[in-house]
Amino acid sequence: MSAKGERAKRSLSSSFQPYLRVIFFVPATVLLIFLVVYPALQTLLLSFYHPPGAFARLDNYGSVLGNRQTIDTSDWSIPYGTLVNNFLWIAIHLPLSLFTGLYLALTLQKVRGASIVKSFIFLGMVTPMIVGGIILRFLFDEKSGIVPRAFGLLGISGLAIQWTAYPETLLFGLIFGSVWLWVGFSLIVYSAGLTTIPRDYFEAAQMDGASAWQTFRKVTWPLLRPTTLTVVTMTILWELKLFDIVFAATNPNGGVGGAADVLALQMFRYAFMAGNFNDAAVVATLLTGLTLLVSTWMFKRIIIGKGKNAGRLERALRRLWARAKPQGSVLKA
Amino acid sequence: MLVVVVVALLLVTNVATGLAVYYLAPATPAPTVQPLRVIGPWSASEKDKFLPVLNLFKNTTGINYEYITTRQEDLQSLLPNWFAARRAPADLIFMPSSFVKTYGTQGHAADLAGTVSESNYAAGALDPLKDGSKIYGGAYTGKVKPGFWYRQSFFAAHNYQVPTTWTGFEALLRQIETDGSVNNTPIISGDGVGWPLSDVVEHFLATYGGPDMNKQIMAKTLPWTSTSVHDVFANYLVRTLTPGVVCVASCWSAPRQWDTGVAEWWKGDYALYFMGSWITGMVTPNSDIRVMPLPGGVNPSGVVFAADYFFVPTYASRLNDAKRLAAFLGSSAAQQLQVTVGGHIATVTGVPLSAYPAVDARIAANLTGKVILSDLDDTIGGTFQGTFWTQLQALWANPSNLNAVLTNIQAAMPP
Repeated sequence: MSAKGERAKRSLSSSFQPYLRVIFFVPATVLLIFLVVYPALQTLLLSFYHPPGAFARLDNYGSVLGNRQTIDTSDWSIPYGTLVNNFLWIAIHLPLSLFTGLYLALTLQKVRGASIVKSFIFLGMVTPMIVGGIILRFLFDEKSGIVPRAFGLLGISGLAIQWTAYPETLLFGLIFGSVWLWVGFSLIVYSAGLTTIPRDYFEAAQMDGASAWQTFRKVTWPLLRPTTLTVVTMTILWELKLFDIVFAATNPNGGVGGAADVLALQMFRYAFMAGNFNDAAVVATLLTGLTLLVSTWMFKRIIIGKGKNAGRLERALRRLWARAKPQGSVLKA
Repeated sequence: MLVVVVVALLLVTNVATGLAVYYLAPATPAPTVQPLRVIGPWSASEKDKFLPVLNLFKNTTGINYEYITTRQEDLQSLLPNWFAARRAPADLIFMPSSFVKTYGTQGHAADLAGTVSESNYAAGALDPLKDGSKIYGGAYTGKVKPGFWYRQSFFAAHNYQVPTTWTGFEALLRQIETDGSVNNTPIISGDGVGWPLSDVVEHFLATYGGPDMNKQIMAKTLPWTSTSVHDVFANYLVRTLTPGVVCVASCWSAPRQWDTGVAEWWKGDYALYFMGSWITGMVTPNSDIRVMPLPGGVNPSGVVFAADYFFVPTYASRLNDAKRLAAFLGSSAAQQLQVTVGGHIATVTGVPLSAYPAVDARIAANLTGKVILSDLDDTIGGTFQGTFWTQLQALWANPSNLNAVLTNIQAAMPP
């Protein structure tokens, strides 16, 4: 091709590029606007109105947050209310799943046939949570369940009971029981994270005479930080939108006295059992707000970065982009 | 240039695929007639006993049907969304009376005033479905919740006597517990989403508070927190629930899945089971089953009769055929066939007593002199039901919490 033809080609290509960007950008934007942004704004708007359509200011928020279904700390006994229950899930389920997954990933790192064991553990993750809830119900059955039976064999008669029939055992049983359903996630993510740490670091630590704990504390744990952030964020998001497992293990009211009730279940009841879409919108907005808080925190820590890791990922992305950039391209990094 | 070529290729292949599908795909098959869809709550053996009635309708009219089992608790949340879209999942649906009336008055249920004949029914049977001259549904057969079921052979083997006073009832429970004739507690508590416990409570209220107590609670003129209601709970039910009062442990088991509980009770793990009369169709041989109402109550006491109500959604795809089925289900022909298999009691007149199995005839005899009451939580309906059920579960877990439970139940009552 002549130099003139080459120039014409470049000119056509460069003039077409902005349109191409728009062509690829528009469908996703349109879909996002109609399927995410518009419904989200409508939900937000709905939460500020009374059912007949009168502006309610913050009345709906006041009534939902003031409802004992949401927060019940009157005597600090179960039920605590949906909002407190969701935080209890985060406080108990998150560390248990995270550290169990990490421990298993570290333990199985150098074990032969570990992938088979990991697959079995990961089965809980691929099991639909609605099925998981039903399995938990059977696990806690006084007659056929393995959990009461095990406590019975250990001579702990106070726990050899129908776990779903008592508020305390129901709530904590579901939280502990669901760890095995979710631990596969942290196991797999941590296993992947461990493969990204260069072996030289461990060898250097070994040569310096570091103990196993020191190696973990000074090498493994800091380098798994982005992985931990991912596990923490995804687990919190799961715990906030928790619905199916509680619904299947109990009933639409969160079981005995509402002991295991959670925000998503409360939203479901408002919307689809009471037909009160305004209060349901309040709960939905609260859930979205909490989810956004977690997502924003995650975004700041990993994508933008803070402290000594500030901009690390961004710089890495820029380097990658610069390497992939074709010579002579008009695209700007 | 490459980009232009790729985009052009994409366009050409898309157009070519579209044309090929349009012209080469096989012709759309001729539309088949959808069967008449019926949604009911019965599954397993209960469903097997209902299908002959639908088969009779099919043979008589030539209208094919499809029966789908769905729990009414699930339909409570699903149907409003169907109605909002002006659609319905079936042509005839069984739901509690409060739901039928609520959505009927909003225009989602067809008026069956000219379809089901009120004169066919026992007096007042359709009242919960009526709004002025409009009738938004029909009543199929019903079940009573007459008391505690037991095996006659089990009582005979252990020389237990049916009590005639509350003190005698307490003594019987204590005797069953101390004899060790059962592996567990004297009474098994049924559970599902919680409704079996509400049947127990209604029976206690109707017996020791009298039928008017149930009626006043349903009419919202008597609060759950009133002294009279509290006393029925405290002096009777809670005594049997609290460890160390009547029984050393609780006289009641922790709530267990009600249908698996039937088998456990029948094989002798428990002595007594409070359940609706449908239980007679779930045990073999049912000639051994007997029922005892709570003894020593107000005279006359009440007994809950829960009819199975159905309605035809306004949006039924086969509205006229659905109305024909509604008329059929409200006929003595359909209900007579249903009662013969046991566990059902007709709501229409004209079904002879001879059509009932012996066990149901005995139940009918037990009703003599009692005030017939509608199901309390079905009648109040709405979100009250769910709260009522879970609060009763909480009472079973901790009977000393009675006051809080009654306060929560009262708070859930609709205005």
